[in-house]
Amino acid sequence: MSRSSDYDLVVIGSGPAGATTARYAAENGLRVLLVDKKQELGAPIQCSGAVSAHALSDVEVMPESEFVLTPIYGFIVYDEAGNPVYLDYRELKPDVYADAPLGYVVDRRRFDRALLSMAEDSGVESWLKTEALGVDRISPDLLEVRLRRLGQEVSVRTRILAGADGVQSQVGKWFGLATHIKLSELASCLQYVVDGVETEGLLEIMTGHAIAPGGYAWIFPKQNKHAEVGLGVIRTMTDDDAHAYLEKLIKDSFLSDRLKDLRVLEIQGGGVPLAAPLKQQYSDNMLLVGDAARHVNPITGGGIHTALRCGAIAGRFIADVIRGGNTPDEQCMSAYQQRWSEELGESMWRLYRRKREIFRQRDIDRRNQMLFETLSHYFSPESEYRKI
Amino acid sequence: MAKHPVMFEIDWNACIKCGACVAVCPLEAGFISAFDTIAVDKPCDVVCLACEKVCPVTAIRHSDA
Ligand SMILES: Cc1cc2nc3c(=O)[nH]c(=O)nc-3n(C[C@H](O)[C@H](O)[C@H](O)COP(=O)(O)OP(=O)(O)OC[C@H]3O[C@@H](n4cnc5c(N)ncnc54)[C@H](O)[C@@H]3O)c2cc1C
Repeated sequence: MSRSSDYDLVVIGSGPAGATTARYAAENGLRVLLVDKKQELGAPIQCSGAVSAHALSDVEVMPESEFVLTPIYGFIVYDEAGNPVYLDYRELKPDVYADAPLGYVVDRRRFDRALLSMAEDSGVESWLKTEALGVDRISPDLLEVRLRRLGQEVSVRTRILAGADGVQSQVGKWFGLATHIKLSELASCLQYVVDGVETEGLLEIMTGHAIAPGGYAWIFPKQNKHAEVGLGVIRTMTDDDAHAYLEKLIKDSFLSDRLKDLRVLEIQGGGVPLAAPLKQQYSDNMLLVGDAARHVNPITGGGIHTALRCGAIAGRFIADVIRGGNTPDEQCMSAYQQRWSEELGESMWRLYRRKREIFRQRDIDRRNQMLFETLSHYFSPESEYRKI
Repeated sequence: MAKHPVMFEIDWNACIKCGACVAVCPLEAGFISAFDTIAVDKPCDVVCLACEKVCPVTAIRHSDA
């Protein structure tokens, strides 16, 4: 080896997936560098920020007031005509949820920063304004990662690279994995943060092909009587863009009366993979985590919980590899995906198959019914899926 | 028949920098701009136009390269 490694692990992307991967690896004794190209994590916001309480506790994150905007106590799921199913856990399970929230809406700028801070407390070194440009293999045990840090080209040597670079991931492509998402499986989303819309501590989900073809619409509460009103559509199912559907929801739907005084405070959007998890999430000296590996719930589009959980799995796995003295070749790294499958991959695949069954249904009324029932059941206390 | 390569143009005023266009792009790594969008300084010869479609605010257009 000409020059030894600078780090055991370099993590690209400091969203929930990357910061958590880095934190668990450092806690287990590794030398970790975490890089993100942004100057301010989480910004511009591309997320509604709904996350369950157990998603945080699973990865030892306290629901700090620094990033929690509002507590959440349940759901309302509407069919296309506007008929609601109330799933208010304060009433369904008062013994548990009368005081303790089911989940939170978090501010992703503050949340991502808090996760970075926790990683740093565990010994992770972090560089913001640092974009990863590419990678070269030096030896079976060593990669050189090319970075641009505040305008300067620098390179660092690491034994393992984790790609946590989100939905627009490039890291997998560097290793020859076909990571792009099909147009039919990437929900095109737009949301407004608004003022003047009443909410009651519940996440509201509106289903129906006329409202949001291939996806759904939402109203989520935020602090200070603010709310998020948004939706995601699948563009192979419609000629109109998310913006047109959002305007229609506000001006011409069963919600119009309630939304008539709305004032827009922020405009945000993004792509949500309603896709199967990536079939191969690793390569020699590399693994993918979070949105980059499409670790997103294909029914709800929620990806914070899965990013956090998968980050913990990845961080611990990498620590085991390095401390075990193993060469992190493809064979060795494949055990990561094995662990992930056992812990939550199998339920994600089941959800994906259910999603596919719904959207392959050609009869639109029947499809609407299937989606409404699936989401109502998913959020109910009886659901077998509540863990993801 | 092979498709004519195209150049993309982005309405930066409408673009919300969400990266959805990059996420659906089947090209090799690096077909990106400095603003989390698909590249605007080199031609695309796949011409699937998935990027134009997925854009939540329809901010992407193309012309012959
Ligand atoms: C409109 C919308 C609403 C959503 N609402 C919810 C919700 O309510 N609840 C929920 O659970 N999920 C929601 N999601 C999904 C959720 O936002 C994602 O699943 C989650 O952010 C994934 O986390 P991540 O860490 O994998 O990726 P990200 O959070 O995307 O982080 C990736 C990071 O990598 C960095 N990066 C990328 N490329 C490079 C590079 N080359 N070099 C350096 N850094 C790089 C980026 O700057 C970014 O900080 C929503 C998504 C959208 C679009």
